[in-house]
Amino acid sequence: MAKVLEGPGMGLMKKWGITVPNYVVVTSVEQFNELAKVNDWIQQGKLVAKAHEALGSRFKLGLVKVGLDRKGAEAAVKEMLGKQVGSITVAQVIVSEMIPHKEEYYASVKSTRAGSEILLANCGGIEVESNWDRVKKLAVEVGEKPASADLDKLAKEAGFTGPVAKKMAEFANKLFTCFDNEDAQYLEVNPVVVRESDGELIALDAVTLLDGDAKFRHPDWNFQFAAEFGRAYTKDEVEVMAVDSKIKGSVKFIQIPGGNIAMLPAGGGASVYYSDAVVARGGKLANYAEYSGDPPDWAVEVLTEKVASLPDIKHIIVGGAIANFTDVKKTFGGIIAGFRKAKSEGKLKGVKIWVRRGGPNEKEGLELMRKLKDEGFDINVFDRNTPLTDIVDMALQNK
Amino acid sequence: MSILANKDTRVVIQGGVAGVNAARRMAEFCYLNKKSLYVEAFVYPPDAGKTNEVPYGSGLLAIPVYKAVAEATKNHPSINTSLVYIGADRACAGTMEALNDPHIKLVSMITEGVPEKDAKLLARQATKLGKVFNGPSSIGIISAGSCRLGVIGGAYDNLVACKLYREGSFGVITKSGGLSNEIIWICSQFADGITTAIGIGGDAYPGTDYVSYLEMFENDPKTKAVVIVGEMGGDLEERAAEWYGAKKRRIKLLAVVSGFCQESLPKGMKFGHAGAKEGMKGEGSARSKSDALKKAGAIVPPTFGALGPAIKETYEEFVKSGQIVPVADVPASDVPRLPKTVEQAMKDNEVTVVPLIRTTISDDRGDEPCYDGYPASELINKGYEIPHIIGLLWDKRLISKQEAEIVKRILMLSADHGPCVSGAYATILAACAGIGLSQAVAAGMIMIGPRFGGAVTDAGRWFKYAVDNKMTVDEFLAYMKKNVGPVPGIGHRVKSLRNPDKRVKELVGYVKSLNIKTPCLDFALQVEQVTAAKKDNLILNVDGTMAAVLVDIGFPVDSLNGFFILARTIGLIGHWVDQKRQDSRLIRLFDYLVNYAAPKRREVPPLK
Repeated sequence: MAKVLEGPGMGLMKKWGITVPNYVVVTSVEQFNELAKVNDWIQQGKLVAKAHEALGSRFKLGLVKVGLDRKGAEAAVKEMLGKQVGSITVAQVIVSEMIPHKEEYYASVKSTRAGSEILLANCGGIEVESNWDRVKKLAVEVGEKPASADLDKLAKEAGFTGPVAKKMAEFANKLFTCFDNEDAQYLEVNPVVVRESDGELIALDAVTLLDGDAKFRHPDWNFQFAAEFGRAYTKDEVEVMAVDSKIKGSVKFIQIPGGNIAMLPAGGGASVYYSDAVVARGGKLANYAEYSGDPPDWAVEVLTEKVASLPDIKHIIVGGAIANFTDVKKTFGGIIAGFRKAKSEGKLKGVKIWVRRGGPNEKEGLELMRKLKDEGFDINVFDRNTPLTDIVDMALQNK
Repeated sequence: MSILANKDTRVVIQGGVAGVNAARRMAEFCYLNKKSLYVEAFVYPPDAGKTNEVPYGSGLLAIPVYKAVAEATKNHPSINTSLVYIGADRACAGTMEALNDPHIKLVSMITEGVPEKDAKLLARQATKLGKVFNGPSSIGIISAGSCRLGVIGGAYDNLVACKLYREGSFGVITKSGGLSNEIIWICSQFADGITTAIGIGGDAYPGTDYVSYLEMFENDPKTKAVVIVGEMGGDLEERAAEWYGAKKRRIKLLAVVSGFCQESLPKGMKFGHAGAKEGMKGEGSARSKSDALKKAGAIVPPTFGALGPAIKETYEEFVKSGQIVPVADVPASDVPRLPKTVEQAMKDNEVTVVPLIRTTISDDRGDEPCYDGYPASELINKGYEIPHIIGLLWDKRLISKQEAEIVKRILMLSADHGPCVSGAYATILAACAGIGLSQAVAAGMIMIGPRFGGAVTDAGRWFKYAVDNKMTVDEFLAYMKKNVGPVPGIGHRVKSLRNPDKRVKELVGYVKSLNIKTPCLDFALQVEQVTAAKKDNLILNVDGTMAAVLVDIGFPVDSLNGFFILARTIGLIGHWVDQKRQDSRLIRLFDYLVNYAAPKRREVPPLK
């Protein structure tokens, strides 16, 4: 799943015929002033300025300002740019025109197993959250398009009447077309508003989640995907992602500040069971990590260095199920090289390493790990006869 | 009995290298079960018309590769299953092709990173046609004792350890590839093993859900219980719980669900497979799934580690009630052993091999080449140069700085001698005919022989012979006249006493300026005094000088021509590049440069 910020999200909606407010995304006050010179709407109407970053609760943080004139918007841009929120520095501000309106509605399309669902409500903004029963749904099977009669019916069910009902059905159709053609996983417009000047429906906000796996058929996706957990990716996370994009198989790494149990398990499935075991034992995870699909040893080495560099860790869990085709000896070679490097840099002091693994060349791989003991590593190595997550139990009892 | 994959399964594999590797793993399984390989064809357009080699036991099978699925099923009408190993960007079309083929009933997609929309379209098409679409991102499907689709089950030793040569009583459905193998292992250790294990893939929308497979297991009398390894996200586990709780089922259901750690993680942070994502309203969490399964009557151990004992308990109940009759394990001696590669057998001290060649100068098996034992980078870093490498590779010794300087000067003096000499002329001729570098240089190299550049070895040999046998110049010349012929290294086409070869003067001058013993050179110069007195151009030539000096600094006689060949290669390459740069045209001799001495034109007599 790949989150897309408001600016490019609205760009995609506009591409499929949805009317969005005029907007600009700026990275400096000078840029904003240049754009103000050539865009009448910036000079004449009321404006909204928002920090254009993957941040939750922007209102509370003072990173959304409404009802501004040009000068006010300039001041807001100046104030927001460079502001530090956690690990995120505000680098972009989106300035859009305010659309005078009375009514607010809700529209979204979400992915389902059979295809998708179009959701409409005749209330919007925060009101829809507390009135979820007013949201009406229309299921569309994959490969099909919604019939216009069904869309009309959906709008009526959602409580739309008169000319707005027809317009809302059309709006839903466009949103669906955007969803279908852009390999989206979730599109939400909240609110959809009726522009007072001409009665046109406008998408005031856009939540856009795209299917990152479909990027190969969307050469115009020239935007960056945003981190999904309300913070920017760390330097080490970005480095592992860069490795991941280059290799056969995969390596994954997410840091969790404040934890002291470092994770270096194999497998997208087993890694989560290991994380569960740590949490169930009352441990605090310092990270999530995973390598799978027989990745090259150098990629595992990079991942290992990142894991070994996590601050204040007490244990490293090198767990894994019985691999089908990931070569244990080879991938362990990468882990061992990473450990050696970390140790030569003065890391891993007082850190206990716990290993459990099976799979192709398991005997040789586990033997190599055992030999690390001779080099002064505090390491405990187990084979397939020790149940999967027992090393977590041992590690946490040991503290 | 088993489901999906059985003794009647016949397979086409769509894709390249990954598919061939899977076929190799499948052949290992067939070997374990003493069955013939059920992979009948590959579909991979770039290799269409060729065959892929699949080792079976100690032999090799050749499996044909076709351009399209239809072509494969036409030639192998018993094919009923396709495994898809095509890259994510082309996988949808390829899988559709397989689904639409009337012969094919089951398609399992191994490809990872398939767009969700494509997966949904494929699932829909399969449903429409009443076929099974498994995956994407599936590790495969395996039925103990009968059929393996994909690499599921892992390496051969693991197949044996997990007793996959005979059927057990447990069905397995997992999203994770690694965990499918783990559960297969657990079922073989805590119970009697598996009937069929299915990897459905960890994507958000697996082509076939748990319920469809549970139905199949329910209808397979051999399967007594099914183990589900679930994950947070989606609602497949909830649907499975619903199915299990709906009415009394014959099979027992055991399940674990991962993702409890999510509850104590920063909001929005997600781990694991693509499909492992919580819904907007908290649906699909590990806890809600786990609770639903428990409520439906499934056995849900608190942790993954508790799964083994739970399986054991279930198994023992079945044994107690007589529903499962324990089978004795096959003695290890009756389980076929996979033939080892020669390399492995050597490592295990089981065979000896007579080496084909023997080398005493270099070794490339480490992270860099070693010359006579010295790592190349260390030689560079300690200031050694090309002449030292020549010393190591040609004579297995580290020569001195002074000796290296002499070698260097010899190479510099012999690097080229203009375009007219045989070697350079041959290379130029070839270059003008459009011949490539290595062949054109080889053409020049072929000229090196008794009359051009190739006299160094012989010169060295005879000068050394004379010195070793303490011959006088007269004795030597008499001996040569009687036994060998003209003295190699003496005489030049154009140079003479009055027109001396500057290269010889230079080299002799330098070597003489050093405080080293040069018996061969001294002897050669004495020979020159006698021969040049007889005839002006019977001087010590550059070949002879080089030869005498190189023998004096200890190089073996047989290596001596090498110095000229090596040096002159520099010039030959230069000539080829020079002609190439000028884009020279094809050349031929002018007929006025040929003396046509053949008979005059005459009539051909009638054939007798």
